[in-house]
Amino acid sequence: MLEIRELTRRFGDKTAVDRVSFEVPAGLMTGFVGGNGAGKTTTMRMVMGVLGIDDGEVLWGDRPITRLDRRSFGYMPEERGLYPKQPILDQLVYVAQLKGMARTEARSEVQELLERFGLGERAKDHLEKLSLGNQQRVQIIASVLPKPAALILDEPFSGLDPVAVDSMVDLLREYTRDDVPVLFSSHQLDLVERLCDRLVVLSHGRRVAAGTVSELRDAGVPRFRLVLGGDAGWVRDLRGLEVLDLDGTTALVEVQQEGAEQHLVAEATSRGDVHEFVRVRPALSEIYREATA
Amino acid sequence: MSTQHTPSDDRRTRTESGNEPAWLLVTRREVVSRITDKSFLIGTVLMVAMLAGFIGFTAWQDGKTDSVTLGATPDAVAMATAVKDAAPEVDDSVKITLVDLDDEDAAKAALREDDIDAWLHPADDGWQLTSESSEQDSLTTVVQTVVRQTVLADNAAKVGTSVADLEAGTTVSTDFLRGDAEKASVAQAVGFVFVFLFYLSALIFGMQLASSVIEEKQSRIVEIIAAAIPLRQLLAGKVLGNTALAMIQLLIYLAVGLVGLSFTSYSSYVPALSGPAAWFIGFFLAGFVALACLWAVAGSLASRAEDLQTTSTPLTMLMLVMFFGGISLDGRGQVIASFIPPVSAVVMPKRILAGGVEWWEPLLALGLLAAFAAVTVMVGERLYRRALLQTGGRVSLRQAWSTAE
Repeated sequence: MLEIRELTRRFGDKTAVDRVSFEVPAGLMTGFVGGNGAGKTTTMRMVMGVLGIDDGEVLWGDRPITRLDRRSFGYMPEERGLYPKQPILDQLVYVAQLKGMARTEARSEVQELLERFGLGERAKDHLEKLSLGNQQRVQIIASVLPKPAALILDEPFSGLDPVAVDSMVDLLREYTRDDVPVLFSSHQLDLVERLCDRLVVLSHGRRVAAGTVSELRDAGVPRFRLVLGGDAGWVRDLRGLEVLDLDGTTALVEVQQEGAEQHLVAEATSRGDVHEFVRVRPALSEIYREATA
Repeated sequence: MSTQHTPSDDRRTRTESGNEPAWLLVTRREVVSRITDKSFLIGTVLMVAMLAGFIGFTAWQDGKTDSVTLGATPDAVAMATAVKDAAPEVDDSVKITLVDLDDEDAAKAALREDDIDAWLHPADDGWQLTSESSEQDSLTTVVQTVVRQTVLADNAAKVGTSVADLEAGTTVSTDFLRGDAEKASVAQAVGFVFVFLFYLSALIFGMQLASSVIEEKQSRIVEIIAAAIPLRQLLAGKVLGNTALAMIQLLIYLAVGLVGLSFTSYSSYVPALSGPAAWFIGFFLAGFVALACLWAVAGSLASRAEDLQTTSTPLTMLMLVMFFGGISLDGRGQVIASFIPPVSAVVMPKRILAGGVEWWEPLLALGLLAAFAAVTVMVGERLYRRALLQTGGRVSLRQAWSTAE
C-alpha cells in the first residue's frame, strides 16, 4: 500500500498542497479528482520524488519510500511526451533499461505490449509519426515497464477514444489483480465512477473527501424519497425531518434526527398506500460539486 | 500493511544484479541517436570533404611546374643555356624551354606573338630579361641567380681566383630558436585551425546538448527519467555522450588533416605537428567537458526551445571571446591567456605549436583547465538538477541556485 501523509508543498506564498493525506491500497484503483490547480499533479510529482516535499511523507508498505521503490513505480507525467524523433521500440527499451531491465528482456516485453496495443507493426516508426491516440498508448506502455510495483498516472485517459480507454482499463485491471496499487487523476467523473474502487477529492490544495464511491455517496445526511397514493403535504408536520421538495404525492426529505425516517414510514403506511420509499444517494458529480464548492 | 506483497522486492535484486549503469545507458542513447541523425552525418562528411579538398588543392598548387619559354639571340645563347641547365637547382618548379632567335626584332615580335615568355639579352652593364608583363617572377629569380653565379665565376677567373675563395669566411649560418619563417607561418595556420575546430565543435555540440536537455524538459520525459535514475547520472551521460561524439569528430578531422598534409610539400612538418596535436586533444577534452556542463545548464534554465536563445547568450559570448582571443592574442597577453581557463583551451595549444614553451607550462595550464572543468561540473550539476524539474517559464540562475529541490 502507498500512503500519503500530511503532504505539503508551497510555491512562494502559495500553498499548492496543504497537509494532504490519503491511501492507495494494494489491488485497488484510486481515482484522484479535483479542478484545475487543485494540487493533483503537484501531489503526484511529490509521490514520484520529482518534486521536493516541504512537509509530510510518503510511505511504501510501512516505511518511508526510497528511490529504489520509486524506480519500480510506473509513472505517467501530465504533459506527456517521449522523444518525438526516436523509434518507439528503441525509446521504450531505453526507458525499461533505465528502470533496471536487461536489454533483451526489455525488448521482448516492449514488443509484447506494442502488439497488445495494436502497434506491433509500427515499432520502428518515430513517435511523432503516430496519431495522438497512439502516442498516448506508447506513453502508457512506457509507464508499465517493467511490471510496476505501483502505478501513478496523471490524466491517463485524456485524449483516448473509448476503445483505447477500454484496453487501458483492461490493462490496469491486470495490475490491480496482481495487488498493484493504482492512483490516477482524471477530470472525467463518469469514468472515475465507473473505474474506481476508491476516490480522493482535492480542492484548493486540500483533501475534501476520500473513500470508496459508495462510502462517499452514503457519507452525507441520509435522504429519502417517499411516493404516496394520496397527498403528501402532512410530511411537513413531522419532527426530525427537513422537506427538501414536495410535489403532490412525492416528498424528498433529509433526516436530521436519527430514526425520524422510521416514524415517517409508520405514519405513511397508517395513512394509506405507500408506492415508494427509497434512500436517495447523491450522484458522484453532486458530491464533487459540493465538496469542491 | 506488513503482509503487503509488493513485486518491488524481486525488482530490487534485479537492479543490484548489475545491469549497465544508468549513465552508460544515457551516453549510449545520446551517441546512437546522434550518429543515426542524417544532418550530423552529412555535416561531418561535408567537413571532411572540405578539409581533404583544401589540402588536395594545396598539394596540387605545390606540385604544379611552371613551363616557360625563354628566347635568346645568338649573343645570349650560351648564358640562356646555362640558365636552362641550372634552373632545376634553383627552383624545381620552373621548367625552361629555349628558343633561338635571329635578332632583336625577331625577339620582340616573338614576345608580342606570345611565342616566348621572356627574352634574355646582354645590356650595357650586364644582362636584361624582357617580358611583356611582370608575371614571370619565378623565371626572374632563376635568371638572376644563374647569371650572377656565372658572371661572378667569370670575373673571378679573370683575376685569377675562384668564387669559393672569394666567398670563404663570409657565410653567416642561422639558427632560429623559434624556428624559421615558414615554420612560423605553418604554426600560425595550424593554430588557427585548432582555434576554429574548438570553436565549431564546442558551439555545435553545445547547442545540440542544450536543445536535447530542453527536449527532455519540455516533453516531461525527464520526469519519467528522474523517477528512475538520479539526475546526476542523466547529466553525466549526456555530457559524456556529447564529449565522445565531439572527440570522435575531432580525431577524424585531425587524422584527415595530418594524413592529407603528408601528401603536400609540408609533409616534413607532420611529425613536428603530432605533439602539439596530441596536446590539443587533451586541452579540447578538458575544455569541452567544462563548457558542456554549462550548455546543459543553459538548456535546463529554458522551458521552451525558444528560450534557449536567451539562456545561452552568456555562453555564446564566452565562445566568441575564446575564438577571438585564440586568434588575435599575442605576446604577453597570449602567455597570460594560455593559463586562464577556459580560454587556455585554445591559446595554450597555439603556443605549443609556435614553440618556445617550457615543459611545465602546458601541464600547468591543463591542470588549471581540468580544475575549472571540475568546478563547472559541480556547479552545473547543482543548477541543472534544480532547474530541470521546474515547470512554468524560464528559470533564472539565482532561482536555480537557491531553490529547494
